[in-house]
Amino acid sequence: MIKLSKVEKTYEDAVVLKNCSMVMDRGEFAFITGPSGAGKSTLLKLLYCSEQVDNGHISVDEWILNKLKKRTVPYFRRNIGVVFQDFKLLFNKSVFENVALTLRIHRMGAKEIMERVKSILKEVKLLHKSDIFPQYLSGGEQQRVVIARAMVSQPMLLLADEPTGNLDSDNARTIMRLFREINTKGTTVLIATHNEDLYYGSGRRVFFLNNNRIDKEIVG
Amino acid sequence: MNTLRYYFGTAFKSIWMEKWINLLTILSICIGLSILCSFLLITFNIDSFMKRWTGNFGLVVYLDDNITYEETLNLETQFNKDRDILRVDYTSNVEAMDEIRISLGENAVIMDDFKENPLPSIFELQLVGELLNQKAARQKAESIKNISGVSDVQYGEKWLASLNTISDTMKMVAVFFATAIFISTIFTTYNTIKIFFYRRKEEIITLKLLGATNGFARLPFLIEGLFVGMVGGTLSSALVFTFSSLTSTRIVEFMPSLSVVLSPLPVQVYLIIPVIGASMSLLGSLIAVGKIRY
Repeated sequence: MIKLSKVEKTYEDAVVLKNCSMVMDRGEFAFITGPSGAGKSTLLKLLYCSEQVDNGHISVDEWILNKLKKRTVPYFRRNIGVVFQDFKLLFNKSVFENVALTLRIHRMGAKEIMERVKSILKEVKLLHKSDIFPQYLSGGEQQRVVIARAMVSQPMLLLADEPTGNLDSDNARTIMRLFREINTKGTTVLIATHNEDLYYGSGRRVFFLNNNRIDKEIVG
Repeated sequence: MNTLRYYFGTAFKSIWMEKWINLLTILSICIGLSILCSFLLITFNIDSFMKRWTGNFGLVVYLDDNITYEETLNLETQFNKDRDILRVDYTSNVEAMDEIRISLGENAVIMDDFKENPLPSIFELQLVGELLNQKAARQKAESIKNISGVSDVQYGEKWLASLNTISDTMKMVAVFFATAIFISTIFTTYNTIKIFFYRRKEEIITLKLLGATNGFARLPFLIEGLFVGMVGGTLSSALVFTFSSLTSTRIVEFMPSLSVVLSPLPVQVYLIIPVIGASMSLLGSLIAVGKIRY
């Protein structure tokens, strides 16, 4: 599903990733962890083509990202869902519209959009807040909207960057439960986090990012 | 269909949210196009006045003294067949002498001193509108001058040259005005759309990260630009139409004789102004959204 081979990424003079390799299977649920500045977010950005790899091979399913043309990037991104660290919610659109936006980009019909958005909002327990604007929601609720938006198109891969970073433990548990449910439906899930509580005892693979590369891999 | 509704919905929502900037843009476009429209109206009236004036312009063809009656008839037939000539009037030397005598009245006796009629017979030829310029009139005169039986051809060359100069200058000024106003319309919309684009940069980045193509992110801005330009153009058309109708009514009330001269702009011009506004505005928007990288 995900394959990184000898990936290199440099920002000006700072080397972020070097000789970084990892493989993840379809339907797997895994974590990437490491100290702050280790390159977790950069690795995810490479996976959703927000950044371009300098050297090495990187692929997701059939898509070879290091060879992907710029105009093809949007079509690739429609296959993945991303839970951004800074949420990236649109505050001039309601919860419903924020989630529906993904499907509008997929050019779906109004009826299908209505059904799918209602269904996913029900799953994240926010259906009653469909018409509310994101700024009036709590941090946990905003995070659930972001997850709903990432999942509504039923992507093959879900990437989450510090999804529980700003949440209390109750909300963090709710979010993790949602990710597990998503994974049981067949979506591959990769979560970048520095929170040990999320992966210890999870029974999932954990990739340790250190010294610009994956230097350790354990089962949490 | 649903996507199209999204594009228009997003565009009109933004128009409403940014109503003051949009209103200022519409007013700028409206003022620019109104100036252009007013200038067109003035040019059109001057042009139609000049056409009316030059309608009587013609060539005077002087015939040889010894030309025969048959040759004169042949010439008349030839002129009548010529598609460049609208009207042919023949005045024989005898008729010309009679006219002079009538105009001289009691002093006509001075004409008795001439043993022979010194006046030539003439043809007065009225040319078609397309030939009412210096170059074409000169060419026509030269070609007629070469016909057998014709001794000379005269026309108001300097007068025609002056009229042509006025007309050419007006056209040049009109082109200059139109270009300046087109550029200012493009630039106004370019700036407005660029401001909107920067204000909504975060939204565009999010859209792109969710898999939106450039077209998906840009189209609402283009619709917005198109709409703003069209409204500006429509307002300008309405303004100039109302102004010209009211003004011409007032002028005719004051000087009824001018009603023959005053010409309103053709209705097509009023219809095309919103299209020009929309096109220029769309071009400005295209440049604005095309230049920004995200």
